[in-house]
Amino acid sequence: MSRSHFDSGEKVKKKLKIIGFLCNWCSYAGADLAGTSRLQYPADIRIIRVPCSGRMNPLLVLKCLQEGADGVLVSGCHPGDCHYQEGNYYVRRRMLILKNLLEYFGIDKRRFHMSWVSASEGAKWADVVKKVVEDVRDACEEEVKTAG
Amino acid sequence: MIIKKIKTTAKDLLTDGSVSLIIGYGINGPGDVTPVFIKDPDDVEKLVWNDQCYYNLIRYLSDRDFIEQNNGSIGIIIKGCDQKSLKVLLSESQVNRDKIKVIGVTCKGLMDSDGNVLAKCEACDVVYPDKDFCDVIIGEEVKKKEKEKDFSDIDEIDSMDLPDRKKFWDNFFERCLRCYACRNICPLCYCKECIMDQHNPQWVLPSASVVGNRLFHIVRAYHLTGRCVDCGECERVCPIGMPLRKINRKIIKVVKERFDFESGKDQEQKSPLTRYRENDSEDFII
Ligand code: SF4
Ligand code: SF4
Ligand code: FES
Repeated sequence: MSRSHFDSGEKVKKKLKIIGFLCNWCSYAGADLAGTSRLQYPADIRIIRVPCSGRMNPLLVLKCLQEGADGVLVSGCHPGDCHYQEGNYYVRRRMLILKNLLEYFGIDKRRFHMSWVSASEGAKWADVVKKVVEDVRDACEEEVKTAG
Repeated sequence: MIIKKIKTTAKDLLTDGSVSLIIGYGINGPGDVTPVFIKDPDDVEKLVWNDQCYYNLIRYLSDRDFIEQNNGSIGIIIKGCDQKSLKVLLSESQVNRDKIKVIGVTCKGLMDSDGNVLAKCEACDVVYPDKDFCDVIIGEEVKKKEKEKDFSDIDEIDSMDLPDRKKFWDNFFERCLRCYACRNICPLCYCKECIMDQHNPQWVLPSASVVGNRLFHIVRAYHLTGRCVDCGECERVCPIGMPLRKINRKIIKVVKERFDFESGKDQEQKSPLTRYRENDSEDFII
């Protein structure tokens, strides 16, 4: 098994491994727009396209963390804009529970994020990634420090 | 006397043929109360009722193999906390209400071997099972204690610093044996094939390591979101003393605060994860 942040003590890497789950209809298109508009953002994120944020099973997030991802981002359409009407409403509840549970067990909440990014929000996507990368890096650094 | 009434009720139900099996509490020896299965009306003498009837017998009703083997009607003896888990099963269409006869018994709280009332009973609010839910009620009517839910045990953990909290839990995750007793005893963990036993794909590391155990406990608790009724059975059976109620109750608290939902109250209402409100709070979204 690869080392995961689940057992700390690792040095903080220069490049982080953050997994982004983006819904096909909004966030993925938004990220695409950021690319075609040549917006700059850190390359620490790897994108996995999902049909809808409502497809997200919390296990996908947990599996990433278990296998060594430094952080996870789930991004979907804004509420009301889901291509399937309500997928993002369900996932919002699901992820709220997951986030609470992770934190309760001592996993830094900055490692797991959720965002709404529409197809026209290329610039927002770049900002979201910047913020997530920063947060995950802070979380990693802090963990290494406290682990002594 | 409660036990006398339990015995006569069981005998009547078995003799008039309305049930072919009674699931209740019997005794195995001093201080060892265990589930008993009674098919013969003459055997009702084996039934007992005391403050050590810990088992949540509803566990048997969510076992489909067991139900199939006993395809007649089943009579079951329940306490208030057990009633909640039965309501959750009904809300999920796991039990055919017409096939069971529910014998609700007033419960004054269970005691541990030192004579202290169990913590889960201190927190319980269904001392007296619902009249319109049970087929038979035994014991005096007790007024429901209307009290504010007390989550101070959870707040205490929440208020720890992150590294301390991690240490607190990792200390237990180091010792969890992965015996799965907590899962197996839970009346609401009824999947035929549990995700923990799946190997292809393997979602959760099966070894009893801190990493695998942490994930196991996240998933176990998560699957009970909006369902766990805090019957405390998981914590009771754990051989290493894992504070499982502290995990379950964290979710119970979040579900109450965020979704205004309590499980086991209304059999028409499913887990809040199967529903949503457009204006659910989203303060955690960036
Ligand atoms: S009963 Fe206890 S030791 Fe066994 S799997 Fe559950 S938490 Fe681990
Ligand atoms: S998780 Fe534990 S307390 Fe909750 S319903 Fe299952 S056995 Fe009871
Ligand atoms: S399609 Fe984007 S969230 Fe459902």
